[in-house]
Amino acid sequence: MKAASHVFTKEPYVEDVGPRRIKSIRFSTFSASEVGKIAEVQVYRGVYYDQKRMPLEGGLLDPRMGPANKSFRCNTCYGDFKDCPGHFGYLTLALPVYNVGFLAKILEILKSICKSCSRILLEEESRRSELEKIRHPKRDALNKAELAKKIVNKCKPGKCARCGYINGTVKKAVGAISYIHDRSKTSDRSLEECKSAISHAKESKGFLSVASNILNPRDVLSLFERMSDEDCELLNVADRPEKFMITTIAVPPIAIRPSVMMEESRSNENDITERLKRIIQVNASLQQELQEIKNLAAWDHLQAEVGLYINSDVRGVPYPFQAAKPLAGFIQRLKGKQGRFRGNLSGKRVEYTGRTVISPDPNLKITEVAIPIQMARILTYPERVNQYNIEKLRQCVRNGPYKYPGARMIRYPDGEMRLLMANFRKRLADELGFGAIVERHLEDGDVVLFNRQPSLHRMSIMCHRARVMPWKTLRFNESVCNPYNADFDGDEMNLHVPQTEEARAEALMLMGVQNNLCTPKNGEILVASTQDFLTSSFLITRKDIFYDRAAFSLICSYLGDSMDLIDLPTPAIIKPIELWTGKQIFSVLLRPNARMRVFVNLTVKEKNYSKPKSASERELETMCPNDGFVYFRNSELISGQLGKATLGNGNKDGLYSVLLRDYNAHAAAACMNRLAKLSARWIGNHGFSIGIDDVQPDNDLNERKRETILNGYSSCDEKIELYNKGKLQLQPGCDAAQTLEAVITDILNQIRNETGQVCMKKLHWRNSPLIMSQCGSKGSPINISQMIACVGQQSVGGRRAPNGFIDRSLPHFPRKSKTPAAKGFVANSFYSGLTATEFFFHTMGGREGLVDTAVKTAETGYMSRRLMKALEDLSIHYDNTVRNASGCIVQFLYGDDCMDPAQMEGKSGFPLNFNRLLMKVKATCRSGEHKYLSAAEITSLIEQKLPENESTSDGGLSDASKAFKKSLKAFLLEEHEKGSKIIFDFGEDATGESCETVNRVAQKIGGITEEQLRAFIDTCISRYHFKRIEAGSAIGAIGAHSIGEPGTQMTLKTFHFAGVASMNVTLGVPRIKEIINGTKKILTPIITAELDRDDNVNIARMVKARIDKTILGQIAKSIKIVMTSRLGSIVITLDMNRIEESQLSIDANTVRESIMQTTKIKPKQLQINVLDVTKLEVVPLVDRGKLHFELHSLKNMLPNVIVKGVKTVERAVVNKGKEKYKDNEGKAKEREKYSLVVEGTGLQEVMGTDGIDGRKSKSNHVIEVQQTLGIEAARRCIIEEIQFIMSNHGMSIDIRHMMLLADVMTFRGEVLGITRFGIQKMDKSVLMLASFEKTSDHLFNASASGKADKIEGVSECIIMGVPMQLGTGILKVIQRDEKPELTYASDPIISSC
Amino acid sequence: MADDDYNDIDMGYEEEPPEPEIEEGVEEDVDNANNEDVPDPLDGEEKEEQEPVERPRKTSKYMTKYERARILGTRALQISMNAPVMVELEGETDPLEIAMKELRERKIPFTIRRYLPDGSYEDWGVDELIVEDSWKRQVGGD
Repeated sequence: MKAASHVFTKEPYVEDVGPRRIKSIRFSTFSASEVGKIAEVQVYRGVYYDQKRMPLEGGLLDPRMGPANKSFRCNTCYGDFKDCPGHFGYLTLALPVYNVGFLAKILEILKSICKSCSRILLEEESRRSELEKIRHPKRDALNKAELAKKIVNKCKPGKCARCGYINGTVKKAVGAISYIHDRSKTSDRSLEECKSAISHAKESKGFLSVASNILNPRDVLSLFERMSDEDCELLNVADRPEKFMITTIAVPPIAIRPSVMMEESRSNENDITERLKRIIQVNASLQQELQEIKNLAAWDHLQAEVGLYINSDVRGVPYPFQAAKPLAGFIQRLKGKQGRFRGNLSGKRVEYTGRTVISPDPNLKITEVAIPIQMARILTYPERVNQYNIEKLRQCVRNGPYKYPGARMIRYPDGEMRLLMANFRKRLADELGFGAIVERHLEDGDVVLFNRQPSLHRMSIMCHRARVMPWKTLRFNESVCNPYNADFDGDEMNLHVPQTEEARAEALMLMGVQNNLCTPKNGEILVASTQDFLTSSFLITRKDIFYDRAAFSLICSYLGDSMDLIDLPTPAIIKPIELWTGKQIFSVLLRPNARMRVFVNLTVKEKNYSKPKSASERELETMCPNDGFVYFRNSELISGQLGKATLGNGNKDGLYSVLLRDYNAHAAAACMNRLAKLSARWIGNHGFSIGIDDVQPDNDLNERKRETILNGYSSCDEKIELYNKGKLQLQPGCDAAQTLEAVITDILNQIRNETGQVCMKKLHWRNSPLIMSQCGSKGSPINISQMIACVGQQSVGGRRAPNGFIDRSLPHFPRKSKTPAAKGFVANSFYSGLTATEFFFHTMGGREGLVDTAVKTAETGYMSRRLMKALEDLSIHYDNTVRNASGCIVQFLYGDDCMDPAQMEGKSGFPLNFNRLLMKVKATCRSGEHKYLSAAEITSLIEQKLPENESTSDGGLSDASKAFKKSLKAFLLEEHEKGSKIIFDFGEDATGESCETVNRVAQKIGGITEEQLRAFIDTCISRYHFKRIEAGSAIGAIGAHSIGEPGTQMTLKTFHFAGVASMNVTLGVPRIKEIINGTKKILTPIITAELDRDDNVNIARMVKARIDKTILGQIAKSIKIVMTSRLGSIVITLDMNRIEESQLSIDANTVRESIMQTTKIKPKQLQINVLDVTKLEVVPLVDRGKLHFELHSLKNMLPNVIVKGVKTVERAVVNKGKEKYKDNEGKAKEREKYSLVVEGTGLQEVMGTDGIDGRKSKSNHVIEVQQTLGIEAARRCIIEEIQFIMSNHGMSIDIRHMMLLADVMTFRGEVLGITRFGIQKMDKSVLMLASFEKTSDHLFNASASGKADKIEGVSECIIMGVPMQLGTGILKVIQRDEKPELTYASDPIISSC
Repeated sequence: MADDDYNDIDMGYEEEPPEPEIEEGVEEDVDNANNEDVPDPLDGEEKEEQEPVERPRKTSKYMTKYERARILGTRALQISMNAPVMVELEGETDPLEIAMKELRERKIPFTIRRYLPDGSYEDWGVDELIVEDSWKRQVGGD
């Protein structure tokens, strides 16, 4: 106050202590002097407290390093336990030791420097050129490390070019933390001196090898100190190498190693503190030894202790020094899932969360979640008091923390906080002013995040609106079960409350349920009706359901909230009484009143749709006898019984998808809400249950089943008989036993199918399981027939039950029995009950399933994690490129067309479904009296609307949109052709006066008006533009989810027959793993080779013979040893008939060449003489004594010489396929087409074989493709292989995700696996790598080479707690400073745009 | 002896023109030029006047959902802190809802600064961008 009289002529300098942003982190090493600088105190006593329980000075808990617990104060900054950040101490070691983190780096340096003069072991010239290389400004950190490794390899031990000292090899010592220098070649005198000294010594130790000298840390330190800076640079050492040695330990502040006081006079010390104590003790004894000039045994001990202090798992600690109980070192603190990086920095504990059991509530909207009141009283939202909410918040404050719409706390703008526990609440409420923040209870409409683990994709955490309700569970609409993969068998879910207005807005906009109805995996709808909703819609829309006015009105009032306006449609039957059909309820549901402008048009084929019997007597689609053809026209359900295909999830043409695409998410959500309400109420009145009588087979069914099983059994017996006689006809590539298995499995599967079909046919139409399976709500025909008719074959590992006993599966059966019952066929149904052996087989099958899921989850979980780490920071930028965090381009245009996979409507990722859209346009755009366009008008309009060369300033996008326009044009022209054909056909039939009418009808079907065409083209174009992927999308993370999540659904090991029996391709998770890891040696490499002439079997066989591996033994008539008195030889006679038969071009000369090329035989010691075309003689050139043995070993080896074919190929098979083609007249025909399937590697050789069309040959081995065809081919291969696996498992994934994955794996120019080795090379930051795997290695390497980490990537931003440059972080928002024109007048003029 | 060596090396190193990264240098220059006339993003207030010659903007004219979320969030925060509202209210009290209404009527006084990967940026007014009209989207006319 008094100082106010001073007047400063200049502004005093005030240090700006405002918020600062960490721009980058540089890793470096710490030297002894730096430790001294930051340290406040020397620690030299290994003690904690004195008798009075005060921390001792100079001890490990010296109060100058911070307070040891709450009762003390810091002696440096005088802060208390909460405020003091802690201060370092220092501890000087008597002798230097190695830092165990840098052991590998030290070894590298020692290997590459002279142990006498410390210079690098390179010639001056090469040193200069390497230096130039490593200093090149374009070389990034990754490159530098690689080059440094190369330089280390170049430094060979030997004579130093500078000082002449002869260096030996340096190795890491085994069983100790030290290095061994082999000095056996060193020429200086010291070695001899040493030797003689030892020999003179009385107790010379025999085992001590003089030549190999252990380098001690003190010598190493002095070597390092003498190293020149340039040499350090060459070895990628950013700082001085002596910093890799420890001479002084920085004793960490007590804050990071708290001491916990126990009762009485004991305290519990942190592991780090205890380690330090041991170091101090050993250090002291070493000090003593130094003074007494002993043999310094404690030095090794000190080294071990310091090593364990840093890394308690360090290798090479001598056994006696290993601690009895493991004390965690620093690395253990950082490492692993619970470690600092993954456990505390990448994922943090949060407040404002809740978790309980979930249960269903169809009365809630799909966007809502019911929160128990108890939970709502604890979770709060800090709401700032403003003009709109002041009264509400006052009431909250008055209610206090325990009465429901209350508040827990008030924060005032000046920073003061008031808990609302006591009675002054009323006063606080009255005094409440603008700007204060009230932490009020959760209320209806608050934004919350809802999540269920495992969070496999982004729909596992979505934003709901809160609905505070009584009772104790979290509840939500069943329609939202799918994205969470939740059921209500005791699942629990988590809830988070965003705490700022910005967070709420972003959560609602980006994570809201209604903005995530579709999965970005492939654009299918994910939030959709399930279970009972499907059943009841199926039942309501039955053809024979009619309601009178009362019932219909009642059902209509089930639909919505009571305030909804509903227009009753015209009754379907008027006389004798007004009746409405069940289908009309759905018309009301879609469009309750005339003011609602929703016109849905779609056609779907349900599961029970029956195909027209024959082309000639074609019934109309809508007249399907099962009522399986769903047709909505302008929101009226014309035909079809609704089921899963229309209402359920996982399709692109269902009702909700159409609503979502043609209207908006709100329309789809509203319909789901209405259906949920309707269904819950309707089915409650109607009643739907399942009882034992539903699964009781009648006599007829039992009889039929018995018959089928008997038939099957007898045919199995026949086959077994044949097998026993050895007369079974073999299947290609199988032996007798395999064939029998295959045949019997076939028969047994047939039995189950047959009984299943019979049973489905026999069931009454009101049978509940049947209804459920028909509408798709639960259960499949197989499930039903297992309950009613026959459970079927149980399999273990894809085979029938294995033999657990000698030659039999169970002791209940005779030995070697192959009958169905003995191998796990269950003939009974679950209703009739299983016999003891059947039950046992069933449990065997069940166990396998359980084990499989357990193994699978772990494996796919790790795969997802790796995928996520590799792809996490890829995003779309404003120039439409896909880049990683450091700005390196991965794709120039996302997915080559820049479309958002979540919004794709057409099949296989095409943006739009033209057919449906055209139907809709035709239905909504009434033709009325408008003229139908003629052919010429249509083409001209198309030309006008879609000009060929449009100059769009769309950047790189014009190509993609051109392709789209082209396909649109093609579609229109084709459609027009079809239409005109219909018109023409009709015109032919019509005669006389009906011609006019017929023509009009025909036009209506096939024609199109100008208005319709215009509307159609405009919609297509505008919708196409809205489907573009948006800048900022974290497309990498989405891609990782899209590939990782389906992995969890795949069965672990599946094999697939590629046309030919016994030729398998690995599929499922193991195959995906193979591809993603970039495995060098895959399980089943297969090359599919196309032939130049693919219509002839013989040519195909010939080419096959060229590829197939043929060995000499196969084509030789005889391989004999011929011994004469003078010399011994082997005579090979070729079987020319056989050779010709298999169309191989082999004769004695080629065989000679082949033998010469086989190195294993040592052909240089052989003399090979060709006797004639079929005969050749092999003479080994050895002395007579060995001749005999040589001949015999040759005789054994020669049959295995490969005389023809590709070595790496296992076998080749001719594959017969069919190809459709159009002949000259344009008719579709089929012809046989042959290709080769080659098992094994060797793509290059196969492609080079005569008769193979190398341009069309493919391999499934990514790495091999890269080596032979290059990186772009490898990319294609990755995409196609992943697509192949996914399609084989019946999963559709947008190709754009796979493209992105393939691009990430190949964008560096080599195939990088998504493993710790590959990810390292993907231009990632240190923190990201450290948070992935091998935490400590990355950190130590980074500090050795002085890497800097700009906080750019997702992981780094999370670790540092700053917003990342993705999504909403990609842009900046700037307030416009122009004064807003505030018009408080009664009638503001809102300018329209 | 050793010193001489070092000098030699350094000289040799300097004399040799560092390979083809001339292009890169040029590029950098361009970047710098760009960055120079566009001062730090933080001091956006005085920016408007000294906005340099308008280049043709290349980015999409549609507002992305991220931009929408960010703008609504920022604006909702302002409104919740008693900022003057730019539209006529019809009983809305939720700041987010008010912000949405403002966006619908294009009254949010913000400029979006879209950063391109090379560090340059484009400014787009909220009223210039086409917001996806998810409130009323329909197919065809009637």
